[in-house]
Amino acid sequence: MKYMIMTFASQQSYEEMVARPAADTAWTPEDYAAIGAFMQEFNQELLDSGELVETRGLSFPVHTRRVGLREGVPVVTDGPYAEAEEVLAGYWIVECDSFDRATEIAARLTSCPGPEHVRARASADVRPIDDHQPDYEG
Amino acid sequence: MTGTGTEDLLRRLAPHVLGALVRRYGHFDLAEDATQEALVSASVQWPRDGVPENPKGWLITVASRRLTDLLRSDQARRRREETVTRWAVVDERGTSDGPPHAADTDDTLVLLFLCCHPSLSAASQIALTLRAVGGLTTAKIARAFLVSEETVTRRITRAKRSILDSGIPFALPGPAEASDRLGAVLRVLYLTFNEGYASTIGPNLQRVDLAEEAVRLARTVHAALPGDSEVAGLLALMLLTHARHRARSGPDGGLVPMAEQDRSLWDREAIGEGIGLVSEALPRGPTGPYQLQAAIAAVHDEAPSAEATDWPQIVALYGVLRQLDDSPVVALNHAVAVSMVEGPEAGLGLLAPLADDPRINADRRFHAVRAHLLEQSGNVAAARDAYEAAARQATNLQQRRYLNGQIARLDQERRAVPKDASRP
Repeated sequence: MKYMIMTFASQQSYEEMVARPAADTAWTPEDYAAIGAFMQEFNQELLDSGELVETRGLSFPVHTRRVGLREGVPVVTDGPYAEAEEVLAGYWIVECDSFDRATEIAARLTSCPGPEHVRARASADVRPIDDHQPDYEG
Repeated sequence: MTGTGTEDLLRRLAPHVLGALVRRYGHFDLAEDATQEALVSASVQWPRDGVPENPKGWLITVASRRLTDLLRSDQARRRREETVTRWAVVDERGTSDGPPHAADTDDTLVLLFLCCHPSLSAASQIALTLRAVGGLTTAKIARAFLVSEETVTRRITRAKRSILDSGIPFALPGPAEASDRLGAVLRVLYLTFNEGYASTIGPNLQRVDLAEEAVRLARTVHAALPGDSEVAGLLALMLLTHARHRARSGPDGGLVPMAEQDRSLWDREAIGEGIGLVSEALPRGPTGPYQLQAAIAAVHDEAPSAEATDWPQIVALYGVLRQLDDSPVVALNHAVAVSMVEGPEAGLGLLAPLADDPRINADRRFHAVRAHLLEQSGNVAAARDAYEAAARQATNLQQRRYLNGQIARLDQERRAVPKDASRP
């Protein structure tokens, strides 16, 4: 069974991470290096156990484009998110034996290093992926 | 023999086994699957039972048996579709008037020409080349490009179908077509190398070293065509660029620009080999873009520091390269080199026309170079704006951190200057 693990962040936390001069609190090179090392080890373990299907980190929320209809006409909106809105920041797709095992994997993310105020707010969601096979092959 | 030893041996033999199979039976698509399966069997059996006396013979036997099975199960379908195989097995020694090569070298070249056929998309060319010639498994190719295995399988299947449909013979192309096709092969190797080199994108998974794989394949092509100057140039370019890889990233994983790299970390042996190759190729001609880029890389690699680099030489080389390649990235690098010789204003002058070039004017690199030159010319306020523009365009976290660091440094330096000494 496949599960998706999702992490969230706001444009604000992205700005802190890349040390934008206007950000209230900027991450130090050590903060940044520590999260990189943690993720590398985390991903490598999932790769070694054969549970990792794929993982990606998403770029800045400000680069988002939203496509929708307005009065029946397709409209593109640049950067639809508010500064502090928590949006998808990255995801993992894992294939494992049980929902509990997927949850266990996601729980390891709580030990990801980072500035305390970021860690206090961080969370990850785990959702089963609907990938059930058709009963017969047409 | 260790696991890695076996893997190296298998990957070296892969194109020869596939070549022998296609030569004997045709059916490139099924032969390629059969070869993969033989390689997988060997990777399990050899480390356990020892390497057979004639490893290539063993692989050809196992792959042939597997191919027979595949053909048998494929027969019913084929009969239904009533397709005859469009594969024409041609002995290229009868048609080629080039110097005779060993059959193995021929096979590798024929396979490369086939996998890089212009009717395939670049992504398919790369995937098929890495599997059929490089002997990599689908899983490893998927991991290297951070795509799913299904995607790679689809790309390879589609590529094999296009080859089948196009009826391209399994033979070296005629002299008229050969140079175009060789160009496509070199481009695939160059793209593979660059993908490996741009290691800053995506999570830092343990990736197959694509840069090293590209070097290995370029060596094979160079061994088959030792007199081709662009092949030598591409191999030299890869070696001279890859030689700096240990100095390219800082402790926080960020990119270190060449001017700030610790040059004692550069690989002197690779640099020596690259310089040897390009010095031999250039006088032989004809001069092409890979040789010129290699020559530029060689000048950088020979310099003890950024300041002590032979910039006039680099300016001259970019001047020639710009006549062959109108890419705005070449123009950007040319402007940087000119600024090192004639000063930042001259560089900014060359950048000006690029501001109207839609291929580069929204690119982070354009704004970053402009920012750097503006700062050197003393226009700190404009430099800050340009760094901000560059940071806004950067989608990569590490690049954005680097650019924000430049802005913070400018702000700090400005604060450090006493009020009465600041700009009027």
